[in-house]
Amino acid sequence: MSATKKSFKTMTAGQIVLSVIKYTVLLALAVVALVPFVWMISSSLKTSVDVFSIPMKWIPEEFHWENYSLIWERVPLMAYFKNTAVLAIIVTFMQILTSSFAAYAFAKMSFKGRDLLFMCYIGTIAVPWQAYMVPQFIMMRSIGLYDTIWALVVLQSFTAFGVFLMRQFYLGIPNDLSEAARIDGLSEYGIWARIILPLAKPAIATLCIFTFVNTWNDYMGPMIYLTTDIRKTIQVGLRRFIQAYSADYNLIMAASLCSLIPVSVVFLFLQRYFIEGIATTGMKG
Amino acid sequence: MTDSAANARRKMSRLEKRNTLIAYSFLAPNFIGFVIFTLVPVIFSFALAFMDWGGGQNVTFVGLANFRYIFKDFSFTKSNLGIALKNTVFYTLMTVPLTLLCSLCLALVLNKAVRGANFFRAVFFFPYVASMVAICVCWNFLLMKTGPVNQILNAIGFNMKKSWTSSRELAIWAIIIVSVWRNAGYYMVMYLAGLQGVPAELYEAATMDGANGWQKFTKVTLPMLTPTTFFCSIMMVISCFKIYDVVAIMTQGGPGRATKMLVTYIFELSFGGEGIATSAQYGVASAVSMVLLAIVLAVTFVQFRGEKKWVNYM
Amino acid sequence: MKKLVAVLMAALMIAAMASAMADTTLTVAGWDITTTPYYTAIKEGFEAANPDITIEWVDLASQDYNVKASTMLAGGDTTDLYCVKELSDMQNWAKEGLIVSLSDRIAAEGYDMGKYAGMDTCYVGLADGAQYALPFRADYWVMFYNKDLFDQAGVAYPTNDWTWDEYAAIAREINEKTGAYGTHYHTWLSCVANWAVCDGVNTLADGEYADLKYFYDLYQALEDEGVCMSYDELKAAGLHYSGAFAQGNIAMMPMGYWYASTLIGYIKDGTASMNWGITAVPHLEGVAAGSSFGSPTGIAISAASANQDAAWKFASWMCSEEGAKAIATTGTRPAYVSDAVAAVMASAEGFPTDETSKAALLPTAISLEWPIGEGVNEIKSIVNEEHTLIMTRELTVDEGIAEMEERAAEFIKK
Repeated sequence: MSATKKSFKTMTAGQIVLSVIKYTVLLALAVVALVPFVWMISSSLKTSVDVFSIPMKWIPEEFHWENYSLIWERVPLMAYFKNTAVLAIIVTFMQILTSSFAAYAFAKMSFKGRDLLFMCYIGTIAVPWQAYMVPQFIMMRSIGLYDTIWALVVLQSFTAFGVFLMRQFYLGIPNDLSEAARIDGLSEYGIWARIILPLAKPAIATLCIFTFVNTWNDYMGPMIYLTTDIRKTIQVGLRRFIQAYSADYNLIMAASLCSLIPVSVVFLFLQRYFIEGIATTGMKG
Repeated sequence: MTDSAANARRKMSRLEKRNTLIAYSFLAPNFIGFVIFTLVPVIFSFALAFMDWGGGQNVTFVGLANFRYIFKDFSFTKSNLGIALKNTVFYTLMTVPLTLLCSLCLALVLNKAVRGANFFRAVFFFPYVASMVAICVCWNFLLMKTGPVNQILNAIGFNMKKSWTSSRELAIWAIIIVSVWRNAGYYMVMYLAGLQGVPAELYEAATMDGANGWQKFTKVTLPMLTPTTFFCSIMMVISCFKIYDVVAIMTQGGPGRATKMLVTYIFELSFGGEGIATSAQYGVASAVSMVLLAIVLAVTFVQFRGEKKWVNYM
Repeated sequence: MKKLVAVLMAALMIAAMASAMADTTLTVAGWDITTTPYYTAIKEGFEAANPDITIEWVDLASQDYNVKASTMLAGGDTTDLYCVKELSDMQNWAKEGLIVSLSDRIAAEGYDMGKYAGMDTCYVGLADGAQYALPFRADYWVMFYNKDLFDQAGVAYPTNDWTWDEYAAIAREINEKTGAYGTHYHTWLSCVANWAVCDGVNTLADGEYADLKYFYDLYQALEDEGVCMSYDELKAAGLHYSGAFAQGNIAMMPMGYWYASTLIGYIKDGTASMNWGITAVPHLEGVAAGSSFGSPTGIAISAASANQDAAWKFASWMCSEEGAKAIATTGTRPAYVSDAVAAVMASAEGFPTDETSKAALLPTAISLEWPIGEGVNEIKSIVNEEHTLIMTRELTVDEGIAEMEERAAEFIKK
């Protein structure tokens, strides 16, 4: 799509009205998307008692900046950050490697039992984790992975979600490309590495973001599988501010705002890959 | 039958075998991990649906007793399973189209050269990135009796007297709103990635044929996005059927049972909840998840059957 | 050569003995370990009395304690002891053989079970009648009140023999004179309507809920008059009672005794500044003054523990008078009650010094918040669900009670 930026001088009156409407709607939606974050920022600067005062105050009477230093002192937040980052990076790497590989077989090859196997993958996505959590825990413990980061790595690295996502994108790549490569004598592995993978950059960037964010924000998995304090992840750490007899929501808000930063950086870094993908996919046939 | 034909067939089957082997080698790294860490526990939980198990050494086969238990006095207004089923289906039917629509619109607008597109894309993805507990607490506040949302609604003539989560009618809408708000940016990213796969020459050709903007959208963009829509709708149906965390934090299934969902029910049967004490009935919980699986598989199967009809792969 | 062998043998034996005498380390699962002072007090007290055993607390998230502990137990984790947060879970652990019966050890040692004011009875396994856990804390319900607001309104402090009608009158009077909230009901069933069980006759699992009507009506009247905050807003805002009372604009709040140590902490670190006291909860005509209800927190030994003897040593110490004193020094109420323990509690740093507050530490009778028995778990879910409907006024009090009775009927033993 040839996206030509027009200057206001060359625009007709109708186009100006349209673009005014467009930006108004966009800005309004952005406000809706951001309002809760404004509330989070405001709450993170209050005392725990003031967070829930009724009626709500958007601007705290007194700014408690010390909340942002308190969170690092009250719990080992730095260690949580480090653990989560290590986990998210390993899982994302594994996920992309194995999913992009497996999806190739589902999308570009035909073999016996393909559709059945694929339904099997999809089927397991539909089973809620809560239903097989205990059997899975028993297994993990018996092979010695309990209370290690590896329990979470193997848990999240082989999900069906990644395979499904990559398959969908591969299906969008014309078969002529791989057929031509086969005639040129390229092996299936070669086609995967040289033709398909470079074309699937937007898909890989997407999967990368989703896996990273999901791993970063996962709570139940780390809650069940990690017990030693120093090995816990950020989401488990956040809940430490909610206790049986008190709840410091101001600190939760401060800590969750901090935890937003790394994920946002990953998003901003990767978004150019699925926006500029158009230039690199070379879909000219 | 001549020898050469048999030979050719043998050659074919050898080739097929080799091909299958290569396919399996592609699958292996993911599949082995998948089988061990997901499929085996899932199959184990299937078996549990026919067992009585509370976490200890004793596992007894009880046949269909767990299913009889959850289907006892089945009704959409009285029994736990019926209510959970009704709520979950309603939630899914509302959330999936709304989210798809919002995310598609966002992606279409932001795929074009909009000033500050990078900024807007990040802003709309933000809700998905934030930690669930913070988000839900916050929305509870925005939707409360005297909160900003009700203030606006009252100003334009509605008569909002209650917090959304305190009303049997509105509580589920609170969950829907938060879900759409949170996921629109997520699926927007999917659509953005999908839009990159639309060849520019199709638009050029359409322009040359004299198509206007709307025609380009319906004749080029939408059909070319069908693989993405197909994927998004399947993933969303599945994840909507598995809705748990928003409910757990915002309403705990209440008021009464107005927002009790299938997974909320499964969780209660396994581990109890605030004021909910029926725990460690892992067999019954598995039976409920079998019901959930059956529904989702049926829906997914229908979607896959339709795949060839409306999804355009190149 | 023989000498060498002998020396080697001796060395080996010494090494073996040393390792046998070496410290046993017990791992004990609890919640909010780092911020709850009594865990440290128990550990220090016990280790001083038993130098050969080391205690290691395992911190499980309080919100999901039951989920995690149940999963660990079912998964055969080797953690030695588990604190019991929910009775229903403990009953299940007992039924499934995940925790061990303590009955034999109690009988063999002649362990005194008489000092728990009946709180130990809910740890009796439903299936076999054996004792599966010992209570170390017993939080019964008291009334916290803000003395400053009483002074400001010129209202006399409540005494331990007051009635619910007097309570309502005081709440209204303070609200009228000071503009502060006369009272505060947290969202739980326990805070609003559980009082019906204080007579020791009614329980919440008996399938008859007409006795809750008085309390729901009282609550709704106070809510309508603006004497207390509305349930709707409290629930939606998720306002935690600890912060609510600490704000200083609430005159009275019925709450479990555990809140005392939170409040003491708040006053210490400056989050709250007020003079406060506690009294017994009010009573109905015909019910003994000073009656309350409560529920214990116990400790159970995992069947998977490799240190059964040491684990029993720890559990029995923790729930004895010695353990109770260690717990009481932190402002928490132990299950083991005696005058000596009450004296330690009253002298806890920051505890109110007036006689009424001290006397409120020894209530006349404590009923169980929820009884134990078959079907109770299901009934508990039902009553709590209907409770939210009454509180949000989606149902009237009468409709809600009728629905409770109708739905619970199925689970009542005939």
